[in-house]
Amino acid sequence: MEINNVSFAYQDGLKRLKNIRGFIKQGEITTIIGPNGSGKSTLLGVLTKHLQPQSGVVTLDDKLLTTYSLKGLAKKMAVVHQQNDVPSEMTVENLVYYGRLPYKRSFSAYTEEDRSIVEWALTSTGLLSRKNDIVSQLSGGQQQRVWIAMALAQKTPYLFLDEPTANLDVFYQYDLLKLVKQLNKSYGLTVVMVLHDMTQAIQFSNQLIAMKDGEVVDAGRPEKVMTEETIEEIYGIKAVVKKDEKLGMYIIPVHTM
Amino acid sequence: MKKILSFATIIIILCVTVLYALTSGSLPITLSELFISLLSGESEQLAIIKDLRFPRIIISLFAGASLAVSGVLLQAVMRNPLAEPGIIGVSSGAGFFTLLALTFFPSLFFYTPFFAFIGGAFAFLLVYLFSWKSGLNPLRMILIGVAIHVLFSGLSELLQLTNANSMMNSVSVTASTLTMKTWNDVTVISIYGTIGLLIATTLFAWCNHLSLKDKTLKNLGFNVNRARFVLAIVAVLLAAIATSIAGMFTFVGLLIPHIGRTFVGNNHKLLIPFSILAGAWLVLFADTIGRTMIAPIEIPASIIMAVIGGPFLIFMLRKSDRIYGN
Repeated sequence: MEINNVSFAYQDGLKRLKNIRGFIKQGEITTIIGPNGSGKSTLLGVLTKHLQPQSGVVTLDDKLLTTYSLKGLAKKMAVVHQQNDVPSEMTVENLVYYGRLPYKRSFSAYTEEDRSIVEWALTSTGLLSRKNDIVSQLSGGQQQRVWIAMALAQKTPYLFLDEPTANLDVFYQYDLLKLVKQLNKSYGLTVVMVLHDMTQAIQFSNQLIAMKDGEVVDAGRPEKVMTEETIEEIYGIKAVVKKDEKLGMYIIPVHTM
Repeated sequence: MKKILSFATIIIILCVTVLYALTSGSLPITLSELFISLLSGESEQLAIIKDLRFPRIIISLFAGASLAVSGVLLQAVMRNPLAEPGIIGVSSGAGFFTLLALTFFPSLFFYTPFFAFIGGAFAFLLVYLFSWKSGLNPLRMILIGVAIHVLFSGLSELLQLTNANSMMNSVSVTASTLTMKTWNDVTVISIYGTIGLLIATTLFAWCNHLSLKDKTLKNLGFNVNRARFVLAIVAVLLAAIATSIAGMFTFVGLLIPHIGRTFVGNNHKLLIPFSILAGAWLVLFADTIGRTMIAPIEIPASIIMAVIGGPFLIFMLRKSDRIYGN
């Protein structure tokens, strides 16, 4: 996936993205980081065709994003949003079945293939035993898993996650990120996500895109991007970046009294 | 199990009410007498019942079913449990355009459903456009709907006051009019009503999909706008046909889907058929009570319904807070 000179502004005219260039490597986890208002989620919106850039193009598998049909795109990429309304009474299994919608015509029934894919999605996310539970009664972390299961049922090569760990406690944050990593490894899923936590971004990503004020400050391998200078530039805080033999890289923000 | 029971109950109640409606009124007749004369064919009593009571019953049934389903569809389209053709002005828009057509082109009497449809669609469009900017905010949409409803009701009353045309007594903008219905009316409402109801029943999956967010549906390759558009057209068609033949009913489209959700759940595969049955029953019941309670004086069905429906809705709301998960 390639991002070429993309600029975007909402109706208020303020430019949220300025000449973004970038490349999403297949089979890897790419994380977009940056402070609030840096344009992370806006970029994700452009990549998933929810927002139309005023200039520049995005190509997906050598085809312009704009040339994909609604259904065609839904077979290429699945998106999990930050906040999702859960319809009342909806069971886990029924919600995951929605992932098969791109493959259905208006009045066709679910096939044996759909059933096995839904079961696979439930198994991969560890939800098989909970398939008859009501989604709205699950915890936030479990609900987020259900949405990922639905995205998996779409059987797409790309998975986009907009701040998947927001509002989750630290146990579920890691629980979820481990799941994403595992899906990436087992199925070669290309993952693009937005994260707030720098350490998590390093731990779970192959590539980082660091943004500030609608521009890409730096992109590449986490070790390359996450330097003390870059952190100060994008977040405006001083931090110490350390590397531990066993733990890998970690970041401690420091504050001077 | 509860769902099967709910269906069985409503079907039985509906049948009993139809039989009661057939046999009671200013010309009482027992069931056996009715069957005998139906089989033997000619009888003076039968002729009267056939011309007066049959059309009225059939129209009540269709009007109720259409309004209830129209409510279900609008609630799905607008993602708002309060949306209802009466409250958001679709019915009064339809009523006003019907009146307008009758005032200026009385010869086009048989096309009144068409004018009603245009009026209903126009009112819906206004509500939709004005609440679009707020992202279809539920509260704002209802407020705008109420404003549109009041506007069209006012316009209709204005038109009636300034034109004391006898033709227009048959169309009321504030109450239902089920007296003096002919077989012509039956033909119109049964044809359009059946078409609308059949389409609605087959579109249950779309209604279910719309409980997800637009963003999510778009990710799933579902054309949200097309579904909204089609469902809204069917909803307006149903409301318009009911209004143009049976007059103004508020409430059926609010009360029945609400009861339906409590008994058969939010799945539209069941909710729509249940609403057809329950809506048909409610209007017939109200009309039958209205014409038999203090006969020979007739109380319009819509008035009966408002009197029973108001308290009942409050009762239902108290019982079912969980349905919309506050």
